[in-house]
Amino acid sequence: MPETKDLAAMVEAVLAVAGEPVTLEALLVVAGEGAERAQLEEAVEAVRRRHEQEGSGVQVESVAGGFRLATRPEHEGALREYLGYRSRARLSQAALETLAIVAYRQPITLPEINFLRAVNSAAVVRTLLERKLVMVAGRKQVVGTPLVYRTSKEFLVHFGLLDLSALPTPEEVEQVAGEGASEP
Amino acid sequence: MDPGLLAPDQPAGPTVVLPVFEGPLDLLLHLVREEKVSIWDIPIAKICEAYQQTLHEMEELDLEVAGEYLVYAAWLLLIKSRMLLPRHEGEEKDPRQELVERLVEYEKVKRAAAELAGLAELRRGVEPVRFAAPLAPAEVELDLEEVDVIALARALREVLERHLREHPPALQLEPIRFSVQEKIVELFELVSRQRSFPLLSHLLTRPDRLESVTLLVAALELVRLRTADAHQREPFAEIYLTPTGAPLPMDVLSDA
Repeated sequence: MPETKDLAAMVEAVLAVAGEPVTLEALLVVAGEGAERAQLEEAVEAVRRRHEQEGSGVQVESVAGGFRLATRPEHEGALREYLGYRSRARLSQAALETLAIVAYRQPITLPEINFLRAVNSAAVVRTLLERKLVMVAGRKQVVGTPLVYRTSKEFLVHFGLLDLSALPTPEEVEQVAGEGASEP
Repeated sequence: MDPGLLAPDQPAGPTVVLPVFEGPLDLLLHLVREEKVSIWDIPIAKICEAYQQTLHEMEELDLEVAGEYLVYAAWLLLIKSRMLLPRHEGEEKDPRQELVERLVEYEKVKRAAAELAGLAELRRGVEPVRFAAPLAPAEVELDLEEVDVIALARALREVLERHLREHPPALQLEPIRFSVQEKIVELFELVSRQRSFPLLSHLLTRPDRLESVTLLVAALELVRLRTADAHQREPFAEIYLTPTGAPLPMDVLSDA
Protein backbone atom coordinates (compact mmCIF):
# COMPACT_ATOMS: atom_id res chain seq x y z
CA MET A 1 0.00 0.00 0.00
CA PRO A 2 1.44 3.38 -1.01
CA GLU A 3 2.21 5.93 1.66
CA THR A 4 -0.25 8.79 2.11
CA LYS A 5 2.59 11.29 1.76
CA ASP A 6 3.44 9.93 -1.71
CA LEU A 7 -0.20 9.79 -2.69
CA ALA A 8 -0.61 13.42 -1.65
CA ALA A 9 2.31 14.45 -3.85
CA MET A 10 0.80 12.49 -6.75
CA VAL A 11 -2.60 14.10 -6.22
CA GLU A 12 -1.03 17.55 -6.25
CA ALA A 13 0.80 16.82 -9.49
CA VAL A 14 -2.37 15.60 -11.20
CA LEU A 15 -4.39 18.60 -10.01
CA ALA A 16 -1.64 20.89 -11.25
CA VAL A 17 -1.95 19.72 -14.85
CA ALA A 18 -5.71 19.15 -14.80
CA GLY A 19 -6.84 22.78 -14.52
CA GLU A 20 -10.39 21.52 -13.98
CA PRO A 21 -12.11 19.64 -11.18
CA VAL A 22 -10.80 16.07 -10.86
CA THR A 23 -13.11 13.55 -9.23
CA LEU A 24 -11.99 11.16 -6.53
CA GLU A 25 -12.86 8.33 -8.92
CA ALA A 26 -10.44 9.67 -11.50
CA LEU A 27 -7.74 9.99 -8.83
CA LEU A 28 -8.37 6.40 -7.79
CA VAL A 29 -7.78 5.23 -11.35
CA VAL A 30 -4.61 7.27 -11.62
CA ALA A 31 -3.30 6.03 -8.27
CA GLY A 32 -3.54 2.46 -9.53
CA GLU A 33 -3.58 -0.73 -7.56
CA GLY A 34 -3.38 -0.65 -3.82
CA ALA A 35 -4.78 2.81 -3.23
CA GLU A 36 -7.99 2.97 -1.30
CA ARG A 37 -10.69 5.56 -1.37
CA ALA A 38 -10.32 6.61 2.23
CA GLN A 39 -6.59 6.91 1.91
CA LEU A 40 -6.93 9.01 -1.22
CA GLU A 41 -9.41 11.31 0.50
CA GLU A 42 -6.88 11.69 3.24
CA ALA A 43 -4.20 12.48 0.67
CA VAL A 44 -6.33 15.24 -0.88
CA GLU A 45 -6.93 16.66 2.57
CA ALA A 46 -3.20 16.57 3.23
CA VAL A 47 -2.55 18.68 0.13
CA ARG A 48 -5.31 21.08 1.08
CA ARG A 49 -3.99 21.41 4.64
CA ARG A 50 -0.44 21.95 3.56
CA HIS A 51 -1.41 24.78 1.21
CA GLU A 52 -3.41 26.40 3.98
CA GLN A 53 -0.71 26.05 6.60
CA GLU A 54 1.99 27.40 4.36
CA GLY A 55 -0.12 30.42 3.48
CA SER A 56 0.17 29.43 -0.16
CA GLY A 57 -1.25 31.57 -2.96
CA VAL A 58 -2.83 28.43 -4.29
CA GLN A 59 -5.62 26.40 -2.72
CA VAL A 60 -7.33 23.07 -3.21
CA GLU A 61 -11.03 23.70 -3.68
CA SER A 62 -13.94 21.31 -3.89
CA VAL A 63 -16.08 22.35 -6.82
CA ALA A 64 -18.35 20.66 -9.36
CA GLY A 65 -18.00 17.23 -7.82
CA GLY A 66 -14.20 17.20 -7.76
CA PHE A 67 -11.04 18.86 -6.57
CA ARG A 68 -9.26 21.67 -8.28
CA LEU A 69 -6.13 23.70 -7.70
CA ALA A 70 -6.91 27.39 -7.95
CA THR A 71 -5.47 30.71 -6.94
CA ARG A 72 -6.66 32.33 -3.74
CA PRO A 73 -9.08 35.25 -4.20
CA GLU A 74 -6.80 37.62 -2.23
CA HIS A 75 -4.50 37.88 -5.19
CA GLU A 76 -7.05 39.03 -7.70
CA GLY A 77 -5.39 42.42 -8.06
CA ALA A 78 -1.96 40.92 -8.65
CA LEU A 79 -3.30 38.47 -11.23
CA ARG A 80 -5.11 41.19 -13.04
CA GLU A 81 -2.01 43.33 -13.07
CA TYR A 82 0.26 40.54 -14.26
CA LEU A 83 -2.03 38.94 -16.82
CA GLY A 84 -3.31 42.31 -17.96
CA TYR A 85 -6.79 40.91 -18.13
CA ARG A 86 -9.94 42.85 -17.74
CA SER A 87 -11.79 41.79 -14.70
CA ARG A 88 -14.11 39.04 -15.82
CA ALA A 89 -17.29 40.68 -17.00
CA ARG A 90 -19.76 40.62 -14.16
CA LEU A 91 -23.16 39.17 -14.83
CA SER A 92 -25.89 41.74 -15.39
CA GLN A 93 -28.89 41.89 -13.10
CA ALA A 94 -30.98 40.31 -15.86
CA ALA A 95 -28.44 37.49 -16.23
CA LEU A 96 -28.31 36.92 -12.47
CA GLU A 97 -32.09 36.76 -12.20
CA THR A 98 -32.36 34.35 -15.10
CA LEU A 99 -29.55 32.22 -13.75
CA ALA A 100 -31.21 32.16 -10.32
CA ILE A 101 -34.45 30.97 -11.91
CA VAL A 102 -32.66 28.21 -13.82
CA ALA A 103 -30.63 27.20 -10.76
CA TYR A 104 -33.60 26.90 -8.42
CA ARG A 105 -36.25 25.67 -10.85
CA GLN A 106 -34.36 23.44 -13.26
CA PRO A 107 -35.21 21.91 -15.60
CA ILE A 108 -37.04 24.95 -16.91
CA THR A 109 -38.18 26.29 -20.28
CA LEU A 110 -37.85 29.79 -21.71
CA PRO A 111 -41.61 30.52 -21.51
CA GLU A 112 -41.50 29.64 -17.81
CA ILE A 113 -38.53 31.98 -17.28
CA ASN A 114 -40.33 34.73 -19.21
CA PHE A 115 -43.40 34.26 -17.05
CA LEU A 116 -41.48 34.55 -13.79
CA ARG A 117 -39.53 37.63 -14.87
CA ALA A 118 -42.43 39.17 -16.83
CA VAL A 119 -39.96 40.11 -19.58
CA ASN A 120 -38.66 38.26 -22.59
CA SER A 121 -35.42 36.62 -21.53
CA ALA A 122 -34.39 34.92 -24.78
CA ALA A 123 -31.33 37.12 -25.27
CA VAL A 124 -30.23 36.68 -21.66
CA VAL A 125 -30.53 32.91 -21.92
CA ARG A 126 -28.43 33.03 -25.07
CA THR A 127 -25.73 34.95 -23.22
CA LEU A 128 -25.79 32.41 -20.40
CA LEU A 129 -25.50 29.61 -22.95
CA GLU A 130 -22.53 31.35 -24.55
CA ARG A 131 -20.86 31.73 -21.17
CA LYS A 132 -21.57 28.03 -20.65
CA LEU A 133 -23.31 28.69 -17.34
CA VAL A 134 -26.47 26.98 -18.52
CA MET A 135 -26.99 24.20 -21.00
CA VAL A 136 -29.80 22.69 -22.98
CA ALA A 137 -31.07 19.48 -21.42
CA GLY A 138 -33.54 18.16 -23.96
CA ARG A 139 -37.08 19.25 -24.69
CA LYS A 140 -40.19 19.38 -22.61
CA GLN A 141 -42.95 17.11 -23.90
CA VAL A 142 -45.63 19.77 -24.09
CA VAL A 143 -47.11 21.70 -27.00
CA GLY A 144 -44.26 23.17 -29.03
CA THR A 145 -41.71 20.94 -27.26
CA PRO A 146 -39.68 23.87 -25.89
CA LEU A 147 -36.04 23.37 -24.92
CA VAL A 148 -35.38 22.91 -21.24
CA TYR A 149 -32.39 24.48 -19.53
CA ARG A 150 -30.18 23.36 -16.68
CA THR A 151 -27.17 24.83 -14.99
CA SER A 152 -23.85 23.44 -16.18
CA LYS A 153 -20.70 22.17 -14.53
CA GLU A 154 -19.18 25.56 -15.34
CA PHE A 155 -21.95 27.13 -13.24
CA LEU A 156 -20.81 25.12 -10.22
CA VAL A 157 -17.19 26.11 -10.83
CA HIS A 158 -18.09 29.76 -11.32
CA PHE A 159 -19.92 29.98 -8.01
CA GLY A 160 -17.61 27.62 -6.14
CA LEU A 161 -20.24 24.96 -5.47
CA LEU A 162 -19.52 21.27 -4.99
CA ASP A 163 -22.93 20.36 -6.39
CA LEU A 164 -26.42 21.85 -6.69
CA SER A 165 -27.29 20.91 -3.13
CA ALA A 166 -24.59 23.35 -2.03
CA LEU A 167 -26.76 26.23 -3.26
CA PRO A 168 -28.27 28.14 -0.37
CA THR A 169 -31.81 26.83 0.16
CA PRO A 170 -34.71 29.18 -0.59
CA GLU A 171 -35.28 29.43 3.17
CA GLU A 172 -31.68 30.49 3.75
CA VAL A 173 -32.01 33.08 1.00
CA GLU A 174 -35.15 34.46 2.69
CA GLN A 175 -33.34 34.68 6.02
CA VAL A 176 -30.40 36.55 4.56
CA ALA A 177 -32.82 38.89 2.79
CA GLY A 178 -34.69 39.44 6.05
CA GLU A 179 -31.51 40.76 7.61
CA GLY A 180 -31.63 43.83 5.44
CA ALA A 181 -29.85 42.64 2.32
CA SER A 182 -32.87 43.50 0.22
CA GLU A 183 -33.13 46.53 -1.95
CA PRO A 184 -33.54 49.95 -0.33
CA MET B 1 -29.14 44.64 -5.02
CA ASP B 2 -29.33 48.24 -5.87
CA PRO B 3 -30.44 48.74 -9.46
CA GLY B 4 -27.96 50.90 -11.27
CA LEU B 5 -29.00 54.50 -11.26
CA LEU B 6 -29.48 56.05 -14.60
CA ALA B 7 -28.93 59.74 -14.93
CA PRO B 8 -29.44 61.18 -18.39
CA ASP B 9 -26.43 63.03 -19.64
CA GLN B 10 -28.18 66.24 -20.56
CA PRO B 11 -26.67 69.60 -19.68
CA ALA B 12 -29.96 71.45 -19.88
CA GLY B 13 -33.15 70.66 -18.03
CA PRO B 14 -33.75 69.29 -14.58
CA THR B 15 -31.76 66.29 -13.47
CA VAL B 16 -34.01 63.28 -13.27
CA VAL B 17 -32.70 60.15 -11.67
CA LEU B 18 -34.68 57.08 -12.42
CA PRO B 19 -33.63 53.59 -11.40
CA VAL B 20 -33.29 51.04 -14.17
CA PHE B 21 -35.92 48.36 -13.91
CA GLU B 22 -35.65 44.80 -15.10
CA GLY B 23 -39.32 44.70 -16.07
CA PRO B 24 -42.82 45.48 -14.87
CA LEU B 25 -42.57 43.26 -11.79
CA ASP B 26 -39.31 44.93 -10.80
CA LEU B 27 -40.93 48.34 -11.16
CA LEU B 28 -43.98 47.25 -9.14
CA LEU B 29 -41.82 45.89 -6.32
CA HIS B 30 -39.95 49.18 -6.29
CA LEU B 31 -43.21 51.14 -6.04
CA VAL B 32 -44.60 48.90 -3.30
CA ARG B 33 -41.46 49.57 -1.30
CA GLU B 34 -41.37 53.26 -2.09
CA GLU B 35 -44.97 53.75 -1.03
CA LYS B 36 -44.26 51.65 2.04
CA VAL B 37 -47.30 49.49 1.59
CA SER B 38 -47.75 45.79 2.30
CA ILE B 39 -47.33 43.51 -0.65
CA TRP B 40 -50.25 41.45 0.75
CA ASP B 41 -52.64 44.40 0.74
CA ILE B 42 -51.64 46.61 -2.15
CA PRO B 43 -53.63 49.84 -2.49
CA ILE B 44 -54.16 49.21 -6.16
CA ALA B 45 -55.40 52.68 -7.13
CA LYS B 46 -52.33 54.32 -5.61
CA ILE B 47 -49.87 51.84 -7.10
CA CYS B 48 -51.61 51.97 -10.45
CA GLU B 49 -51.20 55.73 -10.54
CA ALA B 50 -47.56 55.59 -9.47
CA TYR B 51 -46.93 52.93 -12.11
CA GLN B 52 -48.35 55.04 -14.89
CA GLN B 53 -46.48 58.05 -13.61
CA THR B 54 -43.22 56.12 -13.86
CA LEU B 55 -43.99 54.90 -17.38
CA HIS B 56 -44.66 58.52 -18.27
CA GLU B 57 -41.29 59.58 -16.84
CA MET B 58 -39.56 56.79 -18.72
CA GLU B 59 -41.10 58.03 -21.95
CA GLU B 60 -40.04 61.58 -21.20
CA LEU B 61 -36.50 60.34 -20.79
CA ASP B 62 -36.82 58.71 -24.18
CA LEU B 63 -36.34 55.33 -22.60
CA GLU B 64 -37.94 52.65 -24.62
CA VAL B 65 -40.93 51.38 -22.70
CA ALA B 66 -41.12 47.73 -23.59
CA GLY B 67 -44.44 46.14 -24.41
CA GLU B 68 -44.33 44.10 -21.21
CA TYR B 69 -44.76 47.27 -19.16
CA LEU B 70 -47.87 48.19 -21.10
CA VAL B 71 -49.35 44.73 -20.59
CA TYR B 72 -49.01 45.19 -16.86
CA ALA B 73 -50.40 48.72 -17.02
CA ALA B 74 -53.52 47.31 -18.63
CA TRP B 75 -53.68 44.53 -16.09
CA LEU B 76 -53.41 47.00 -13.21
CA LEU B 77 -56.30 48.99 -14.63
CA LEU B 78 -58.35 45.83 -14.93
CA ILE B 79 -57.65 44.90 -11.30
CA LYS B 80 -58.45 48.44 -10.24
CA SER B 81 -61.85 48.31 -11.94
CA ARG B 82 -62.59 44.88 -10.44
CA MET B 83 -61.79 46.26 -6.99
CA LEU B 84 -64.54 48.81 -7.45
CA LEU B 85 -67.16 46.14 -7.97
CA PRO B 86 -68.90 44.99 -4.81
CA ARG B 87 -67.58 41.66 -3.67
CA HIS B 88 -69.24 39.25 -1.30
CA GLU B 89 -67.08 37.91 1.45
CA GLY B 90 -65.63 34.52 0.59
CA GLU B 91 -67.39 34.28 -2.72
CA GLU B 92 -64.73 35.36 -5.14
CA LYS B 93 -61.03 35.58 -4.78
CA ASP B 94 -59.28 38.91 -4.41
CA PRO B 95 -58.69 40.42 -7.87
CA ARG B 96 -55.15 41.22 -6.72
CA GLN B 97 -54.30 37.64 -5.85
CA GLU B 98 -52.52 36.59 -9.02
CA LEU B 99 -50.54 39.82 -9.15
CA VAL B 100 -49.44 39.36 -5.55
CA GLU B 101 -48.39 35.77 -6.24
CA ARG B 102 -46.29 36.85 -9.20
CA LEU B 103 -44.71 39.66 -7.19
CA VAL B 104 -43.84 37.33 -4.34
CA GLU B 105 -42.32 34.81 -6.73
CA TYR B 106 -40.35 37.51 -8.47
CA GLU B 107 -39.08 38.86 -5.16
CA LYS B 108 -37.73 35.39 -4.41
CA VAL B 109 -35.98 35.37 -7.78
CA LYS B 110 -34.39 38.74 -7.00
CA ARG B 111 -33.14 37.54 -3.64
CA ALA B 112 -31.71 34.38 -5.16
CA ALA B 113 -30.02 36.52 -7.81
CA ALA B 114 -28.50 38.69 -5.08
CA GLU B 115 -27.30 35.54 -3.36
CA LEU B 116 -25.62 34.32 -6.55
CA ALA B 117 -24.02 37.72 -7.04
CA GLY B 118 -22.60 37.43 -3.51
CA LEU B 119 -21.23 33.97 -4.23
CA ALA B 120 -19.64 35.19 -7.46
CA GLU B 121 -18.09 38.12 -5.62
CA LEU B 122 -16.31 35.71 -3.28
CA ARG B 123 -14.88 33.94 -6.29
CA ARG B 124 -13.22 36.89 -7.92
CA GLY B 125 -9.56 36.17 -8.45
CA VAL B 126 -9.97 32.41 -8.15
CA GLU B 127 -8.36 31.10 -11.30
CA PRO B 128 -7.54 27.50 -12.10
CA VAL B 129 -3.94 26.45 -11.68
CA ARG B 130 -2.72 24.73 -14.76
CA PHE B 131 0.81 23.84 -15.59
CA ALA B 132 1.41 23.70 -19.30
CA ALA B 133 1.03 20.00 -19.87
CA PRO B 134 1.26 18.53 -23.35
CA LEU B 135 -2.25 18.24 -24.72
CA ALA B 136 -1.69 15.19 -26.89
CA PRO B 137 0.28 12.10 -26.00
CA ALA B 138 3.88 12.53 -27.07
CA GLU B 139 4.84 11.02 -30.45
CA VAL B 140 6.62 7.74 -30.46
CA GLU B 141 10.27 8.61 -30.60
CA LEU B 142 12.55 6.84 -33.03
CA ASP B 143 15.93 5.69 -32.04
CA LEU B 144 18.31 7.63 -34.28
CA GLU B 145 20.28 4.52 -35.14
CA GLU B 146 17.21 2.98 -36.73
CA VAL B 147 17.04 5.74 -39.29
CA ASP B 148 18.73 4.85 -42.57
CA VAL B 149 18.44 6.00 -46.15
CA ILE B 150 15.65 3.57 -46.88
CA ALA B 151 13.61 4.81 -43.93
CA LEU B 152 14.19 8.37 -45.13
CA ALA B 153 13.06 7.47 -48.66
CA ARG B 154 9.98 5.78 -47.33
CA ALA B 155 9.17 8.82 -45.23
CA LEU B 156 9.59 11.06 -48.26
CA ARG B 157 7.30 8.86 -50.35
CA GLU B 158 4.67 8.95 -47.62
CA VAL B 159 4.85 12.72 -47.45
CA LEU B 160 4.52 13.05 -51.23
CA GLU B 161 1.63 10.62 -51.39
CA ARG B 162 -0.15 12.41 -48.62
CA HIS B 163 0.45 15.69 -50.35
CA LEU B 164 -1.06 14.32 -53.55
CA ARG B 165 -4.07 12.97 -51.67
CA GLU B 166 -4.67 16.29 -50.02
CA HIS B 167 -3.94 18.34 -53.12
CA PRO B 168 -5.58 16.61 -56.08
CA PRO B 169 -4.73 18.04 -59.51
CA ALA B 170 -6.69 21.12 -60.42
CA LEU B 171 -9.79 20.87 -62.59
CA GLN B 172 -8.95 21.04 -66.30
CA LEU B 173 -11.09 23.53 -68.20
CA GLU B 174 -11.77 22.93 -71.84
CA PRO B 175 -11.14 25.86 -74.17
CA ILE B 176 -14.23 27.87 -75.01
CA ARG B 177 -15.40 26.87 -78.47
CA PHE B 178 -18.65 28.79 -78.67
CA SER B 179 -19.28 32.36 -77.69
CA VAL B 180 -22.59 33.55 -76.36
CA GLN B 181 -22.39 36.76 -78.40
CA GLU B 182 -21.85 34.84 -81.59
CA LYS B 183 -24.84 32.66 -80.78
CA ILE B 184 -27.00 35.67 -79.93
CA VAL B 185 -26.45 37.05 -83.40
CA GLU B 186 -26.98 33.65 -85.01
CA LEU B 187 -30.17 33.01 -83.07
CA PHE B 188 -31.45 36.53 -83.71
CA GLU B 189 -31.12 35.97 -87.42
CA LEU B 190 -32.89 32.61 -87.23
CA VAL B 191 -35.74 34.05 -85.18
CA SER B 192 -36.12 37.11 -87.41
CA ARG B 193 -36.27 34.94 -90.48
CA GLN B 194 -38.70 32.31 -89.23
CA ARG B 195 -41.04 34.54 -87.13
CA SER B 196 -41.72 31.54 -84.86
CA PHE B 197 -38.61 29.59 -84.07
CA PRO B 198 -38.75 26.16 -82.34
CA LEU B 199 -35.96 26.60 -79.77
CA LEU B 200 -36.22 23.25 -78.03
CA SER B 201 -35.89 21.06 -81.10
CA HIS B 202 -33.04 23.27 -82.31
CA LEU B 203 -31.23 22.79 -79.00
CA LEU B 204 -31.83 19.06 -78.91
CA THR B 205 -30.52 18.52 -82.42
CA ARG B 206 -27.14 20.20 -81.87
CA PRO B 207 -24.37 17.63 -82.14
CA ASP B 208 -22.33 19.41 -79.45
CA ARG B 209 -23.62 19.67 -75.90
CA LEU B 210 -21.58 22.79 -75.28
CA GLU B 211 -23.18 24.43 -78.28
CA SER B 212 -26.66 23.66 -76.93
CA VAL B 213 -25.78 25.23 -73.60
CA THR B 214 -24.36 28.34 -75.27
CA LEU B 215 -27.46 28.59 -77.45
CA LEU B 216 -29.73 28.38 -74.42
CA VAL B 217 -27.84 31.22 -72.72
CA ALA B 218 -28.05 33.19 -75.97
CA ALA B 219 -31.83 32.59 -76.09
CA LEU B 220 -32.20 33.86 -72.53
CA GLU B 221 -30.16 36.93 -73.50
CA LEU B 222 -32.42 37.62 -76.46
CA VAL B 223 -35.45 37.56 -74.19
CA ARG B 224 -33.68 39.76 -71.65
CA LEU B 225 -32.75 42.25 -74.36
CA ARG B 226 -36.44 42.26 -75.40
CA THR B 227 -35.58 41.31 -78.95
CA ALA B 228 -37.53 38.05 -78.72
CA ASP B 229 -40.43 36.58 -76.76
CA ALA B 230 -40.53 32.99 -75.58
CA HIS B 231 -43.72 30.94 -75.48
CA GLN B 232 -44.48 27.52 -74.17
CA ARG B 233 -47.98 26.02 -74.05
CA GLU B 234 -47.30 23.57 -71.27
CA PRO B 235 -44.33 22.16 -69.35
CA PHE B 236 -41.88 20.26 -71.57
CA ALA B 237 -43.66 21.38 -74.72
CA GLU B 238 -41.82 23.12 -77.56
CA ILE B 239 -40.52 26.60 -76.77
CA TYR B 240 -41.16 29.10 -79.56
CA LEU B 241 -39.17 32.27 -79.97
CA THR B 242 -40.84 35.13 -81.82
CA PRO B 243 -39.18 38.41 -82.74
CA THR B 244 -40.48 41.55 -81.03
CA GLY B 245 -39.25 43.71 -83.85
CA ALA B 246 -36.67 45.42 -81.69
CA PRO B 247 -33.15 45.39 -83.15
CA LEU B 248 -30.16 43.94 -81.35
CA PRO B 249 -28.38 46.58 -79.24
CA MET B 250 -25.23 47.89 -80.89
CA ASP B 251 -22.88 46.79 -78.14
CA VAL B 252 -23.89 43.16 -78.63
CA LEU B 253 -23.18 43.40 -82.34
CA SER B 254 -19.88 45.20 -81.99
CA ASP B 255 -18.53 42.71 -79.44
CA ALA B 256 -19.50 39.70 -81.50
